[in-house]
Amino acid sequence: MSGAVTIHIRLRRDEDAARLTTFELPEPSVAGISAESWSGASVSTALQYLQRAVDPGLAYSLSCRRGLCDTCAMRIDGVVTTACTVPVHDGMVIEPAKPGIFLRDTIVELSLVRKARIGPEGQQGPVAHD
Amino acid sequence: MFRGTRQGLGCFVGWGSLMDHWDVIVIGAGGAGLTAARHARAEGASVLVINKSFVGRSGATITSGGGISVAGETLVKLGYDVDGGDTEENFIHDTIRSGHFLNDQRLVESMVVGVGEEVSYLRDKGVRIGVTKKAPGHSSGRGIHITGPDMQRAVTSIAVKAGVRFREDFQSAGLLTHDGAVVGVAGLDRRTGEVEAIHGRTVILATGGTTSNWRLRTAPEELTGDGHAMALAAGAELIDMEMLQFLPCCLVAPEIWRGLQFPWTIGPQAGVRAWLLNKYGERFLARWDPERMELATRDVVAAASATEVLEGRGSPSGGVYLSWAHLPRDVIDNFPRWSKSYSMDWRWQGFDMNPLIDRIRAGYAIEVAPAAHFSLGGIRIDVDGATGVPGLYACGEATGALHGGNRLSGNAGSQMLVQGRQAGLAAARAAKSNTPPVTGQNWAELKETIEAPARRDRGIVPLEVKQRLTGLAETALAPVRNGVMLGKALEELRDIARNALPELANRTSDPGYNRDWSDALECQASVPVIEAALLGALNRTSSLGAHQRHDTTGSRPERLTHSITSRQGDELVYKAEPVKFSLLAPAA
Ligand SMILES: Cc1cc2nc3c(=O)[nH]c(=O)nc-3n(C[C@H](O)[C@H](O)[C@H](O)COP(=O)(O)OP(=O)(O)OC[C@H]3O[C@@H](n4cnc5c(N)ncnc54)[C@H](O)[C@@H]3O)c2cc1C
Ligand code: FES
Repeated sequence: MSGAVTIHIRLRRDEDAARLTTFELPEPSVAGISAESWSGASVSTALQYLQRAVDPGLAYSLSCRRGLCDTCAMRIDGVVTTACTVPVHDGMVIEPAKPGIFLRDTIVELSLVRKARIGPEGQQGPVAHD
Repeated sequence: MFRGTRQGLGCFVGWGSLMDHWDVIVIGAGGAGLTAARHARAEGASVLVINKSFVGRSGATITSGGGISVAGETLVKLGYDVDGGDTEENFIHDTIRSGHFLNDQRLVESMVVGVGEEVSYLRDKGVRIGVTKKAPGHSSGRGIHITGPDMQRAVTSIAVKAGVRFREDFQSAGLLTHDGAVVGVAGLDRRTGEVEAIHGRTVILATGGTTSNWRLRTAPEELTGDGHAMALAAGAELIDMEMLQFLPCCLVAPEIWRGLQFPWTIGPQAGVRAWLLNKYGERFLARWDPERMELATRDVVAAASATEVLEGRGSPSGGVYLSWAHLPRDVIDNFPRWSKSYSMDWRWQGFDMNPLIDRIRAGYAIEVAPAAHFSLGGIRIDVDGATGVPGLYACGEATGALHGGNRLSGNAGSQMLVQGRQAGLAAARAAKSNTPPVTGQNWAELKETIEAPARRDRGIVPLEVKQRLTGLAETALAPVRNGVMLGKALEELRDIARNALPELANRTSDPGYNRDWSDALECQASVPVIEAALLGALNRTSSLGAHQRHDTTGSRPERLTHSITSRQGDELVYKAEPVKFSLLAPAA
């Protein structure tokens, strides 16, 4: 069952229109991945491989790798789930979790502290002593 | 808030005389950083918490098993029904003995005495708390339980309510200094690609451990020791960096499960008598701890497993076998009935573990290996989290010497809470008396270093260097080490520092979400962090706790010393410093 598989990722950068792009994943051993087949690797591992070897601009989030932090949430074959816990299969479709909160490619706005945030969107600076 | 002028590359220039500043800037939004932020706010300070990615969705805190050690007598005072005969003194002594006396005993005392108050606060805030009946390695059931996600959620919402402000997706890469004092932080806004300076009267480093520099690890992706590198550059010291705790019996394959400690948790950690076997089927722990065998302390099980691999008796994927085959299947099937962290359908964290359980039931062993789990060494601090550099504090797993040469379960949870408070209070108080910061004298230089990978048209791909670095740490700083490999690794590391770091180049010119750029900055941080660990490991020529030397097993130095590294000019220098035994001496 080992061998190359094909996956489709909806890429969107800046104001470009989103486009479904097809990527070939070579056999895991060729990709430097320790699994007998892609079914032993996660979608996050596939994205890491693609950023490393194929599309350096590919954006994804990853932290705990065990389904706890939800930072890697995306829509996989139509279902919103954590990419780090879903095994790769041939023909899968990967999209941002929600188009409305997309930031870049598979990354969406998942901030838990949005109202208390400062920075590029310009919110309040230091709070006075109280 | 004032904005600098946009220049080239999407960078801000200095803030000039109109510069805004914070009383306290906390770098890192895990349990330690957010606890520090809350306490600093309570002292009336303005507080900015900066995090590399989303706040509440990164770091080790969220992945924690949730143990928090508290002495029985403290818990009884808080109204819990536990063995009150377990004194604070017992807890202190257990921690020091298990740390092989390498602990900074003042830090141990501070943690033991301080943790009750923090637990009581969290309980009053409605956090779900369980009581631990038997804690591994402790002489009693000392402690409570707050799951990682619950803890991270609680400290996040408490900090928000306290009026803390946040900066997300900001990768801090250097501390701004003025006349030797820390006056802020410089870094990369990952979303926009802007390089910015943020000024503050004090800075607290709460960036977590250095475990992401190893390949097989339980820990998350982003813990490259950025805080350690920033601290070194600002003049602080690192202590006992060779001490890294490995968690034995983690999965090595398949890729999707690599680093999960699941076999450990349904085996030795739970007291279940699974056997660790080498390729000949020998129970090799007989050579290390014939009495406790697989239930020996974590440092022993890790060292024993790694030794089998090093000496050519490992399994095909570079581990050893963990086997339940000598036990009736009922032991596995009934496990979820008595262990609350498991559901009968074998869903564990985000995974369906049924395929693995089926293999165990069918009589197969599982290939396992020790995975990098926790940084015992780190930034040197005192009980107030002060680093010795004016304006610079640190807390949590980023710091070193509390646990000595081995950490007891649950003690990292207590550490982040108590050290978070200490650093938060001390920084807020210091901020009241020191003068408002002026623009860091090193801002131009820091900006240059941070931007460098984006400016180069061609060069070395950062990820390739990252892979060399993790490969080097994985091999030389394994649970079992030898002088030859350590020496070679140091040579290679210095070669990377000289020849690869100055050539790192992003492959795309997009400033926002440029992973190559983030990788490049992580490489810049990892190099001194790994170098400090190599220097410590080379100079500690005998085995102690988490640091096991394959080439000099058995011999002991006359005096127990800390490994101290600091930066002098372009070089890291090592010195040995005798350990002080203020509370308990090894002979006692
Ligand atoms: C799988 C696992 C299980 C564990 N189980 C237990 C347990 O049961 N009991 C126990 O006591 N301990 C346990 N530990 C250890 C414990 O969880 C950690 O030591 C503790 O959570 C560390 O907290 P912290 O706040 O210091 O760091 P972290 O929670 O790691 O937070 C550090 C934060 O700093 C941020 N950061 C890093 N670099 C930068 C930068 N350059 N700029 C901006 N932000 C940055 C990161 O994004 C991260 O959010 C476990 C650890 C792991 C990995
Ligand atoms: S990386 Fe944390 S849930 Fe996937």
